This record gives sequence, structure tokens and C-alpha cells, in this order.
Amino acid sequence: MISLLGIYRPGTTPLHKASAGLKSLMLLLTVVITMVVDDPVTSVGIMCACLLLLVSTAPPAKPTLRAMGIIMVVAVLTVSFQLWRGEVERAIDVAADLTAIAALALAISCSTPMESMLDLVSRMVRPFGRILPPETIGLMFALTLRAIPEAARIFIDARTAARARGLERDPRAVLIPGATRTVGFALQLGQALHARGIAEEAKPERAEKKSRKDRRSEKAAADAEASQTPLVTYSTVPTTTAEVPSDAVVADGAASAEDGKPSSEDSSGVTPTTEERTQST
Amino acid sequence: MIEFKAAAVTAPDSGVSILDPTTLTLNEDRISIIGANGSGKSTLARLINGLVLPVTGSVEVDGLDTVKQGAKVRRKVGYLFTDPTSQLIMPTAVEDVTLSLRRIIDDKSERTEAALTALEEIGLGGKGDVSVNALSGGQRQLLALAGVLAVTPEVIVADEPTTLLDLRWRAHVGALLRTLPLQVIEVTHDLDAASRAHRTIVIDSGAVAFDGDPAEAVKFYRDLMFGRPTRTADA
Repeated sequence: MISLLGIYRPGTTPLHKASAGLKSLMLLLTVVITMVVDDPVTSVGIMCACLLLLVSTAPPAKPTLRAMGIIMVVAVLTVSFQLWRGEVERAIDVAADLTAIAALALAISCSTPMESMLDLVSRMVRPFGRILPPETIGLMFALTLRAIPEAARIFIDARTAARARGLERDPRAVLIPGATRTVGFALQLGQALHARGIAEEAKPERAEKKSRKDRRSEKAAADAEASQTPLVTYSTVPTTTAEVPSDAVVADGAASAEDGKPSSEDSSGVTPTTEERTQST
Repeated sequence: MIEFKAAAVTAPDSGVSILDPTTLTLNEDRISIIGANGSGKSTLARLINGLVLPVTGSVEVDGLDTVKQGAKVRRKVGYLFTDPTSQLIMPTAVEDVTLSLRRIIDDKSERTEAALTALEEIGLGGKGDVSVNALSGGQRQLLALAGVLAVTPEVIVADEPTTLLDLRWRAHVGALLRTLPLQVIEVTHDLDAASRAHRTIVIDSGAVAFDGDPAEAVKFYRDLMFGRPTRTADA
């Protein structure tokens, strides 16, 4: 079973206590420093520090070794290439940089619950809340991470099935079922989100907009009451705006959700057409 | 109360009927839906929480229309899938339940505590920090159920929740669903489980073929499956 995720283990180490933001910043700084500094001694020092940090979080052995193993393969290939070119110092620097970044990333994964990362992403995109709903972006981040091991598992299954049919040399026998099943998994995941009502909670900004509209209509109603103008009730709203005071038209719009039209939490207030409904099946 | 008012579903491109216009009122605490593969029973179940929307007619849960007030309906109606793998989103058990709770509990520590309690109650105490990949199929289904129950729905629609489970987990999850203090609508191929409901609906070729007493419904279904020549036999 592939388990790139679920590497997190609760603990009380300094890295566990640090905030997700600080740890992400630390990772970013390490990446920048390793890219800027070409000195192999410094790179080896940073690598040792990162490896110690990883060990300090007491990571689960099997997935950690597997993840580090993949990085080691890449590092060995890169080092071989550099050595072939006769650049020994460069080879040490590149290998140390790769190992350092991988170890720190694993240390952070091991000491940070996904929910904290989700909160961090949501906080980071909050200033852009009008364009990008923070909860949705956070959820996208979580779903992306969730999909990686599942997609890998699907392709491994497809490869095994192709081998069982004697089609291991035919890439179509792996790619076509792999791609189809990955899309199927994405659809199932989408349905599960829908069923759990998770995607629907991610619309606070829209809800806020609606409430502003409500406030405007309330203000309009209060103004109308203050001026003692007879206000048209929702049940007797005339069909033409010519018959309705301008204030009452606003009130009618605000009331539409309660009167049976889609509420703001339902797909931005647009009634699905027959075609849209059918597509959702 | 769940009301189907001539709700019908057709295939998007071909227009082939998946579920004929169906009118039903579902009041009983335990309702089972049985039928052959592809008969339309899952479609009927998915209509209840708006996962599938009716092309004509409507479905209402406590007066809330699944098309117009889908989000409110889904807060009342929890849905349990056959394969829990696609229902679990977060990497660990406690985080997955916490994700469900985000919409009702703001405080993070309270949320985590509530998630741990939900796991404890369902029998997954101590599994909170375990990767969902490391759980068995039965444990994953329990976790999916914990995620649904954590947000206190009034109705649970379970679409063949025990189909992928071994005998032990099937009995465990089945017993758990029977003891829940809320309305449970279960789509199942397990005729023993179906006969324990208060009411059983048999779906055949996209229409309600029988609706009533579970024992009679199971007998009707058996006759339908074995008493009538199949298309293959005809050929």
C-alpha cells in the first residue's frame, strides 16, 4: 500500500510545537540558501542539520526510508553525472542540497498535521478572498496531496493487470486504464465532497455578499417604514416593477431565496437547467 | 420526512430513463432498497441528498428541495458510499473527521476533541493518528461513518455500505447502522439485512416494483430474480 501521506506523527518536539507558517518559511529559506550557496562544506552542514531535525521528529521508518530512498537515487544519478564531468565539489554540493531539502520536507510533513497546512493555505489566500475562496484553495491543496498516492496506486494496479494479460510492453494497456480510473477516482472524490457538504462550506465570501444585500434590503425596508410608505409584502409583489416602489424591488430580490429560489449556498443562486441537472447524474 | 414527487432521472446524452417518475413518502426509521445491479436503486438513494438531481419532478427532505436547497438538505442527510476510500480525504483518521466538523465547530482544539470523541464512539479509539491507508476496509468504512455522524445528520443514506467488507466487518457495520438513533435508508444486496428494515422498496428497471413489508418484498425480489427468464436465457 502506498502511503506517501499519513506520515504525520503527533509529538512534542520543537518542530511539532512550531507553527506551520514558520516551518514552511524555514523550508523556503533552506531552498533559497542551498541554491545560492555553492560551498560544499556549508551544504554538508545544512544537510546534517536537516537530517538531525528529521530524526528528532521520530518519523515512521518505512515510509521515511522509502521517500529518502527515491531522493537518494536521484542524488546518486546527479552526482555520477557531475563526477563524470570532473566536478567533485559541485557533485558534493548538489547531493547535499537534495538530501537537505528532502529531509527537511519530510521532517515538516512528519511534524505538521494536514489540518494545520490547510489552515495555513487558507490564511495565505485570504487577502485574495474575493477572487479565490480561501477554504476552497485549502481544500484543493489537501485534495492534491490526497490524489498523488491514489493515482500512483491506480497506475501500479493498471501495470499489474497489463502484465497479467501479457501486455507489459504495450504502454496503452497501462496508460488508458490508468487515466480512465484516475478520472473515475476524481469523480468519486468530488461526489464524496458533495455528499459530505464540504465544498459547500467554502463559500463564506459569497454568503457575506448576500448578507450585505440583505442589509441593504433591510435598510430599504426601514426607510420605507420610516416614511410610512405602504410596503409591498413578499406574497403580493406585483409582477411589473412599474407598480412597485424602487425600495420594494430590492426587498423582493432579497426574499427570493426564501421563496423557493436557490439560496446563496446553492451554486451561486442559479437554478440548474434540465441539462445541468442531467449532467450532474 | 422524505418525499419524492414524480421524481425522474434520465441519462444525460441518450435521454434513456434511469429512474421513471417516482412518487414516494419515506417516514420509517429503517428502510431498505433492494434490486438488481443497474436497476436504479443507487440513483434513487442519491436523489435523497441531491447527489443526483431529478430531471423532472422533485425530491424534498423536511420540505427542503434537493435542487433549490441542496446544501441545507445535505446537512440533514449524510451519505455513506460503498467504497470508503473515495470518501476519505485527509491523510489520518482524526483529520478526516475534523474536516467534516470544520463547518460546525470553529475552534480547532474543540474540533479535534469532537473528532476524537466521534472516533471513540464508533470504535476507532486510538486510531486517530493512523494513516487512512493503514486502516483495514472495515475500519475505513467505520471512519467514513464517523465522518458522516460527526455532523449530526437526521438521515443516513447508505449505498451498499457492507458490500466490500468481510463477514465480520459486515456484521459489525450492519449492526451499527441498525442501532443508530436516526433514519437509515440502506441500499443493499444483503437480503437478511433488507428484511430487518421496517419497509423495503424493490427497484426493477428504473421503477419501484414493490414497496412494503420487508419479508414480502424479499420474496417478491427472489421471484423477480429467479422466477422470470432473463434476457440471456431468452436468447
